Amino acid sequence: MKNSTPFLPTTRREFLARSSGGLGLIAFSRFAPSFLVQSTLAAAPAPEKDRSILVLVQLAGGNDGLNTLIPFEDADYYRLRPTLGIAKDKVLRASDTLGLHPAMAAMHGLLHDGKLAVVQNVGYPNPNRSHFRSTEIWETASRSDEFAATGWIGRYLDNACAGQPLDSHDPVAVHVTNGVPPSFLGAREHATFGLQPGAGNRRENEETRQLLEKMVAQTGAGDENDNGTFLRHTLMDALVTEQKVQRLLGDYRPGAGVNYPGNPFAASLRNVAALIAAGLPTRVYFVSISGFDTHSNQLAAQANLLTQLSDGLAAFQKDLEAHKLDGQVMTMTFSEFGRRPSENESRGTDHGTAAPLFVLGSRVRGGLHGTAPSLKLERNQDLTFSTDFRQVYATALDSWLGCPSAAVLGGKFDRLGII
Amino acid sequence: MKPRGARLVFAKVKISLTPAEAWQPQPATEWSADAARHLLRRAGWTAQPAAVDRAVGEGLATTLERLFPVDPILMPKPRAIQRLEGDAPELVQAAQKMSGEEKFRAQREVQERQRIAVQDLSLKWLRHAAEPDGSAFAKWVLFLSDVYVVSAEKVRNPAHLFEHIDLLARHGLGPAPALTKAISRSPAMVTYLDLNQSQKRAPNENFARELFELFVLGEGNYTEKDIKESARAFTGYRAQPFRGDFRYAPAQHDATSKTIFGQIGNFTGDDAIDLAYQQRAAGAFLPHELVKFYLSSDEMLPAEYLFALGDQWRAGGYELRTLAHRFFGSRLFFAPEFRGNFIKSPLQFYLGLVQDWSLDVPPLPRLTINSLRQMGQWPFYPPNVRGWVGGRNWINSATLASRRQLVEMLFTPIDERSLNADEQVDLLAARANGSPHFTVDDSALTGLAQLDPSSATNRLVQNFLPVAVTPDFRVSVEKFLSVGATDEKQRLRRARRAAVTLLQSPEYQLC
Repeated sequence: MKNSTPFLPTTRREFLARSSGGLGLIAFSRFAPSFLVQSTLAAAPAPEKDRSILVLVQLAGGNDGLNTLIPFEDADYYRLRPTLGIAKDKVLRASDTLGLHPAMAAMHGLLHDGKLAVVQNVGYPNPNRSHFRSTEIWETASRSDEFAATGWIGRYLDNACAGQPLDSHDPVAVHVTNGVPPSFLGAREHATFGLQPGAGNRRENEETRQLLEKMVAQTGAGDENDNGTFLRHTLMDALVTEQKVQRLLGDYRPGAGVNYPGNPFAASLRNVAALIAAGLPTRVYFVSISGFDTHSNQLAAQANLLTQLSDGLAAFQKDLEAHKLDGQVMTMTFSEFGRRPSENESRGTDHGTAAPLFVLGSRVRGGLHGTAPSLKLERNQDLTFSTDFRQVYATALDSWLGCPSAAVLGGKFDRLGII
Repeated sequence: MKPRGARLVFAKVKISLTPAEAWQPQPATEWSADAARHLLRRAGWTAQPAAVDRAVGEGLATTLERLFPVDPILMPKPRAIQRLEGDAPELVQAAQKMSGEEKFRAQREVQERQRIAVQDLSLKWLRHAAEPDGSAFAKWVLFLSDVYVVSAEKVRNPAHLFEHIDLLARHGLGPAPALTKAISRSPAMVTYLDLNQSQKRAPNENFARELFELFVLGEGNYTEKDIKESARAFTGYRAQPFRGDFRYAPAQHDATSKTIFGQIGNFTGDDAIDLAYQQRAAGAFLPHELVKFYLSSDEMLPAEYLFALGDQWRAGGYELRTLAHRFFGSRLFFAPEFRGNFIKSPLQFYLGLVQDWSLDVPPLPRLTINSLRQMGQWPFYPPNVRGWVGGRNWINSATLASRRQLVEMLFTPIDERSLNADEQVDLLAARANGSPHFTVDDSALTGLAQLDPSSATNRLVQNFLPVAVTPDFRVSVEKFLSVGATDEKQRLRRARRAAVTLLQSPEYQLC
């Protein structure tokens, strides 16, 4: 969809052209978008287009790892999962003993192509089984008995973007979720941007944004106070970014032969691909898919979610490849916890501990990494993790984003061989 | 961090009154709906039309009596805390008898229950503060908690945190010295500022320093010696980690002679507080904090204004209720230069929205506490002992985006399929006690949708915005409301989107 002419200018030339056309934007240059009043920015180098990008995919609710990467040769698995166990002949083989859930054919293909790494049994010491708290632990990359005020992506940005001018419009991190993920909270302010998940009602968003732009662009009552001016200025900056982003999304065409499935998760990934293809300097994207809290009737629910995950990620990867951007992007999943190895009485599973996570990308060292958990467990006993999630983060920071991980994670964690 | 607006040139606020005139009572002839809106938005969270009508009818003095009453409006102790208080001593005792992994597990169990109870306390406080009749009082307690700061990051015991705000409420409109003495015994404060660690042989100066600097006098009004000597006076204060009670340990108290503010005696902690309140600076300190919290966060009044209020307050025995009535009833408070130019805190933004749309606070931390955190104000977790900085520091591209997202969230039905099972259970429990409105449904917008575009615009602007808007602004909203408004469904949709947008505007961030 081509958008109508935006109300606010997005470039200096547009700005000047339209000011002479009588829009009178010059009149309130006191709070004109900062790219117009800040000369330093004009001199700033163009965004580097070959920077590495990390896409985080949150599986909210706690994905059942044991039915995602299935130990089909382990009798204990079928002992713990009398009704939920996935039959050996259905499993998509990843090794002689392990395989993916049957719904994940597309990701199985990526595994086969060496583009998908599966890190087994990821967790942390003294696991917390509260959704809220365990999500917080993953997002802040803290110990389970420590409370961090900032998120790991926020701290990465604190370190990586120290020299970045605050007035740069283009966001350094983008989330496609309804709230800002706690991961993004930094000690300093960073230009982050939020997109509504899914395809969204573009017409409605466009209408509303235009109204807001008009509210912001009105010159204010004659006696407007300084705080009003300040707010107007900040919001105008944000709207300029938003307008640019919406235009990029509207103009985007996925690569030839790429068909994103028709669900909100896939639509969110399509939008991420659009922004990456546009060459924004954004280093981190955050996408979320929820519903993994399968306390009852898990089989159908999880199969549906894993289909969305698998087909969505495969389309995303194919799209990146079609645009020759796949070398630049690494995608990583996480979930607040895995689920209890022994199923419950409602054909579901309760909150557990460790689980596998996925890392996807053309430069990823595909295959299985880490070790599988032992299932020699009593009823209602939990898995003991073998890879700390902060090792995964450390690898992403050091080997992918090129940021010293110790500064972000507050300590040294052994890297994994996934890149 | 430099606020983004630093490069903008801000004019100094010109004050239209002299220090002598500033704190005179606002004349009754000046009382109007506009004045009432200003008072209600600044003293509470928002100004709903019915509340404005009531205040106009009652007059300023009666309204102030109601907003800052003789009897404190107390929040009941959350059941989760009561249960934890009942169980914790036993759990802790049991843990002490254990060893190794088992002991560790038991201790973590207690920590975990504490954490959940703190979260519950935050949600209960939001619900309490959202009650329209107690808003001004709840905000007053928030103000005091921003002076007498403790943080759940260090004080993990929810019973202590609750007791702290309970003390602030009970003493919040009484004499200030009594409040400060009560707070010096607040187990949360005793823990937070290390009085717990203070020993006769090694007095810890943390509390004494903040007492003078941040609670009573302000920087420059005491000497290092006053701090050292006072620290000795506060030795022996103890808080029990898993009980709500304060304990005085005489054996740890240094009862020998001290010199504080030039006076010599075997002073106790209470004596040190009384000595501090004898200083003239004590009169001006809390007014300074009041101005920052309620009137003008970005620019401070010149000292002569603060002393004009402070000297009176000090002479009258430091009654906090008197101070509140004088401050909120003053000519200065209503002066045009302090109207519609205060940036709402995230808590005010959230609670104002809840009240403006008659919403209930959902029992879901993800939709409440997370939003507040993203906007920069995590309840019970102020960033440091100075509390939240406020003003323009609340606003940057990320926090402004969070404010806009909060509005969208409150206008979008909760997608229950995306909730985890715990959240669904909590939601079900909340619904069992009535039919709460967690998001704005069509019924709240019907009235607006039925008005003609011009009247609807007037209503939106008058009810929600604290500043005058230009004719162009009005025309934009009117046009938006009238385009394609052919049937009722479309009119509702337009009204909804117009309201959402207005709440995201720069003007609605102000009060």
